[in-house]
Amino acid sequence: MPPVNGTFCVTVMKDRCINARMPGKCATCVEVCPYDVYAIDTDGNVHIQNYNACVGCRICSEFCPEDAIRINPAESEFLVRSPWTFPQVEEIHQKAQTGQYMLRGFGTMGYTPNFDNITIVPSQIASAAPRDKYREECNLEVVIGEDRCENPIHLKYPFIFPAMSFGALSREARMALCIGAAQTGISNNTGEGGLLKDETWLIKGYENERRTLKRWEPGGYLVVQWSTGRWGASADYVRAGDAVEVKIGQGAKPGMGGHLLGAKVTEEVAAVRGIPIGSDALSPCRHYDVQDLEDMKRMVAFLRDVTDYKVPILFKLGPSRPYEDIKACVEAGADAISIDGLVGGTGASPAVVTQGVGIPTVALIPPSVQALKDLGVHRKVKLFVLGGMRNGLDAYKAMAMGADGVGFGAAAEIAMGCRACMACHTGRCPYGITSQDPELRARLIPEEAGNRLANFIKATAEEVKILTMLSGHDDIKDLCEEDLRAMEPNIAAITGLKLIGYERRLPFWENGPGNERKAECGLPALDKQERVKCLR
Amino acid sequence: MSLAVDARERDLRSVSVELKEKVARGPTAIQEAAHVHGLAAGFTSGEVTIEGDSGDYLGALNDGATIRVKRNAARYLADNMTRGTVVVEGDAGYGAGAYCYGGTVVVRGNAGDFAAVMNKGATIIIGGNAGDDVATYMLAGDLVIVGNAGKNLGNYLIRGNIYVGGKWESLGHNTLLEEMTPADLTKLHGYFSEYSIDADPTTFKKIVRLSQKPFYK
Repeated sequence: MPPVNGTFCVTVMKDRCINARMPGKCATCVEVCPYDVYAIDTDGNVHIQNYNACVGCRICSEFCPEDAIRINPAESEFLVRSPWTFPQVEEIHQKAQTGQYMLRGFGTMGYTPNFDNITIVPSQIASAAPRDKYREECNLEVVIGEDRCENPIHLKYPFIFPAMSFGALSREARMALCIGAAQTGISNNTGEGGLLKDETWLIKGYENERRTLKRWEPGGYLVVQWSTGRWGASADYVRAGDAVEVKIGQGAKPGMGGHLLGAKVTEEVAAVRGIPIGSDALSPCRHYDVQDLEDMKRMVAFLRDVTDYKVPILFKLGPSRPYEDIKACVEAGADAISIDGLVGGTGASPAVVTQGVGIPTVALIPPSVQALKDLGVHRKVKLFVLGGMRNGLDAYKAMAMGADGVGFGAAAEIAMGCRACMACHTGRCPYGITSQDPELRARLIPEEAGNRLANFIKATAEEVKILTMLSGHDDIKDLCEEDLRAMEPNIAAITGLKLIGYERRLPFWENGPGNERKAECGLPALDKQERVKCLR
Repeated sequence: MSLAVDARERDLRSVSVELKEKVARGPTAIQEAAHVHGLAAGFTSGEVTIEGDSGDYLGALNDGATIRVKRNAARYLADNMTRGTVVVEGDAGYGAGAYCYGGTVVVRGNAGDFAAVMNKGATIIIGGNAGDDVATYMLAGDLVIVGNAGKNLGNYLIRGNIYVGGKWESLGHNTLLEEMTPADLTKLHGYFSEYSIDADPTTFKKIVRLSQKPFYK
């Protein structure tokens, strides 16, 4: 008696199936299926006699000579087969066959605590009146380095394109990001792949090296990344940027360095990075020339010296111990810090790291903001949140929790045409975004993709404007936690936001983690009487 | 008249401003600079002499200057240099010649651990002994160690050549011993002659990479 699961839908594409065109000529599916899902009648016609018996082994589709069979879950495999889902089974097969762990692109898949369980509190009668999005103004600008640098960065919107390197991305994608940033007055980041010359004028809105024609206003900002691999790094490289970003980590693979597999190291990529064509470019997990925080401070000092003290120095963190990490960056001299959560994407990473290492983006913000507040530099040292940011809602919530802006990495790739198939590491991106294959790259037109990016940023900025104004503000700097509510206890516990219905923070947030942290940092903790006051 | 900067009790910024101005006019000597870290960073030309010891990150991002240290250099000497020459009469600390893309680094004495790490094209010559993990993940260029080396020499070497006159404690992953060629001997003769190093190239051993793709097949 075959098992009856009823969890899979069996589809045979008749236009491909040999038996459908020539009954009796092929009955492979009947022969290989161990559960009698298929049957053949006396005329030689094959039909599905019991799809309920299908167990999802997919042997029929593997053996079908015309690839005419599709087996799809009737219910989510996560519900009915977890933890032995099809992808998990295939992964074990691959390791057994090759002795190698899996690599993939993109970020964490599946559920993690996120911004969706947070809602926005609109203004009404008991608070400042809402502002009129259609007829009043809202300030969305963010300035970086205004206290310390001769040339601070004035972002027109509270958004950045975070580090996505040449090599991981195609030349065309890099150019598109610059064009998109130029049209919207935001920043683009070289990532750790070095600098393409074109980027230096495209980012400012010029279409050629001689800068004879400014095509795109208002022009953007180029952030050059000082990474652990120092691919393409030189004095000229450091001076080419409007800011220098010291990379400490990234969300997709915290504790590891960048990965660019040999298949994507073409002649041009190799030349920019200074490595052999076809060799893997695996960045170290740490800066080999930094052994402690004092070294990092000295490094920041010479980076400032090389850039004549004119440009901001930024830091990029992965998701580790955000309170302590943020503190260390401030002490090292950061003008702004980006912190990249678990959900952040990449071009290539060991799958186990991408899937299972780090802290969700939403959970990074409270301790990061607390660290800045405890040091008295919140809103002075700017905080950008990265990792799975999708739209204006996510951006607003992150800013109301205390961030100064957000980064769109995966979303920017999707704006250019990506479909999140997670095969970036193969170099076979069908949209030419993460490929070095000339034929595939030809599918991405930089100006067209740049326009799409600009459209996405402008539309998202309008979303932020709507949400900011309906919550009673005309400046994103005025957003605060009171503008948000957690919609379920878990997210209230993680973020410290007030819980809907309860209309207060959970008790241990009223008098908990903040005090313990203050004690650890040598700051005075609340005494018993003050704690009692907080609870009332 | 030679130019001079006294760095006593001064910070990097104030020393650097004066140094840049003087180096543009001619060769410049700096005194009392052991406490200044990141000195002479990103210079594209000129000559700088450190009278005495230098601090960390001396000559970082050097792109064409000639820098000499009369005694010892601290850590991360010539970090990420792309062009130019850095010569240390004494010893150098941890990470000498790290991340270099080009130029020449000469340490007449000993060099610490992780010297020449991720060297991507510079010529790095150590007249004495070298520490552990030297030339880790080296991607191009030449490393010459006249004396002995420590553990994991050339670990995950990808490209470039390591020449050792003495012994080593252990070789790193992805390394291979190869016969010296006439071109290697000529090259070493040239280095030793140019920098007045007393060594016989015919006694040196050569280490190269085993595989260009040692990480993922």
